[in-house]
Amino acid sequence: MEQEDIHYNKSEYIETASGNKVSRQSVLCGSQNIVLNGKTIIMSDSIVRGDLANVRIGRHCVISKRAVIRPPFKKFSKGVAFFPLHIGDHVFIEEDSIINAAQVGSYVHVGKNCVIGRRCVLKDCCAVADDTVLPPETVVPPFTLYSGSPGTFTEQLPGCTQDLMIDITRSYYQHFTAKS
Amino acid sequence: MSAGRNGLKIAPGAMVCAESELKGDVTVGAHTVIHPKARIVAEAGPIIIGDNNLIEEQVEIINRHPKSEDGTSNPNQTVMIIGNNNVFEVGCTCESLRIGDYNVVEAKASVGRQTQLSSGCIIGAMCSVSSSEELPENTVIFGSKCERRVQLERPPAQTLQLDFLTKILPNYHHLKKPVKSHTPM
Repeated sequence: MEQEDIHYNKSEYIETASGNKVSRQSVLCGSQNIVLNGKTIIMSDSIVRGDLANVRIGRHCVISKRAVIRPPFKKFSKGVAFFPLHIGDHVFIEEDSIINAAQVGSYVHVGKNCVIGRRCVLKDCCAVADDTVLPPETVVPPFTLYSGSPGTFTEQLPGCTQDLMIDITRSYYQHFTAKS
Repeated sequence: MSAGRNGLKIAPGAMVCAESELKGDVTVGAHTVIHPKARIVAEAGPIIIGDNNLIEEQVEIINRHPKSEDGTSNPNQTVMIIGNNNVFEVGCTCESLRIGDYNVVEAKASVGRQTQLSSGCIIGAMCSVSSSEELPENTVIFGSKCERRVQLERPPAQTLQLDFLTKILPNYHHLKKPVKSHTPM
């Protein structure tokens, strides 16, 4: 399936030297703690909470509208801490999802309106269907699709998931262009 | 609605980020933390929020005008009271008029205007309740079918997290200043 062109107002997005496209309507808290490794798109009204802990987002990621990226919180016997949140390369996060995970691997697809609970680990090449609720500390293994509330294993993903995700995120980036 | 006067009262020690939206007559208790992009709208009457509450991003706490049968809005004001030590997680919606203490409303959950939370209740992620009742203490609502059970102990208070947030939020955000509640309006 061919990705259709998505045009945005040039004034609405900031493009950095490494090719990141960040909406002016997004909320990046504590931007000195947020690392975008290049060619990542952050759309309007999404929230990235770098003030709580470091957030590192790999290359060719897409953070859609109203998504929330929020480092997870853990209580220890003495004191508390927010954990740094790492997101790999070629990760697609769709609209309205809340990511409270400790780690998101590469080539991961998170559907619309999901809640990824505290300190979940999404391994490489996995997917989460729309409207899924992953309870805290869930581990999603590679090549699996999780869905439902609470999220459970539903399907295996094909071995070519890596290539599929690379294709999807690359073509999304190429077709996400300014209105001429 | 009461003419545009801003009745916002923030107790000392509360952390209310400037990027949050507080409209109408809202009172925020001590040590309550309100994250950016939260919306608290007092349309139909004042909202009183107690101490040590945690209100995260995209939360909507709305005291809405009730719809009566003849389509006119009730001229009487209704007060919405939220107790102490409650947690409202990312993206939840709350219109309940009475919320007790130690309740947790998880991510994307919603609580209707007719429902009252007593204390220690947990509304699970994406669950919604709108029935006209008061939930018994320590009720847990969970899963895709919004099943219910009663747990033996109430959820722990988030004091440590609140202390931590109180320390770090001023480093990154502009805050709304606490005001003395007896200032003339």
